[in-house]
Amino acid sequence: MSVKIRFFARFRELLGSDIMTDVAAGTMFTPLITTVAKKNPEGYTAIFDEKGAFREFVILMKNGKRIEIADAAKTPVVDGDEIAVFPPVAGG
Amino acid sequence: MISIQTDDVDIGALIIAAKKHGTGAVVVFDGVVRDDDITEMELEAYEDVATQELVKLATTATEQFRLLHVDIIHRIGRLAVGENILIIVVAAGHRGEAYAGSRFIIEAIKAGVPIWKKELTKDGGRWVTGEHGHGKPKTG
Repeated sequence: MSVKIRFFARFRELLGSDIMTDVAAGTMFTPLITTVAKKNPEGYTAIFDEKGAFREFVILMKNGKRIEIADAAKTPVVDGDEIAVFPPVAGG
Repeated sequence: MISIQTDDVDIGALIIAAKKHGTGAVVVFDGVVRDDDITEMELEAYEDVATQELVKLATTATEQFRLLHVDIIHRIGRLAVGENILIIVVAAGHRGEAYAGSRFIIEAIKAGVPIWKKELTKDGGRWVTGEHGHGKPKTG
């Protein structure tokens, strides 16, 4: 099964966007993003701290709905999901 | 009209269209690219989600402040200094509701709608830091 990962703003510049990736059944949100982010060390450190946890300002979404950082490790992803990871917004 | 788009809009036409029966005040917020020693500004949005959130904001503001009309147009792409970034047009029966509704919408956009700005300079660029951490309103 495959999911789409979308990074925005600085995270997009470092890691790309609209990344289609195959995932195994039972894959959780946090390890999926960890694996993808590790493809670029600068991108990884922009999103994760030295302990491998999401930095507190990072915003996570699954299919357009917010996922709290505390819940991400136990949030499964399934075929067709759209995952978004981005820094604090700055519109207006 | 609720839109995230690259093109500019005719604010005068929006004001005319906003004057529905019962309108006593129209408030226009026009956010523009400020000359902070930059060459251009680049704006990016999570378009589907941002548009949905703008629609929700317009609905909430309409109910909360008894607005008669709401337009929110947020531009994306590359914009020059002085260009319009965000246009909010609200109409209400009285000025208090119109001002309050407009203020509510701009503050909510800054707090939580997934849009980002990058200031482009002669030396490269810098992402504008959001005013609110983790997409939630700042307190205090």
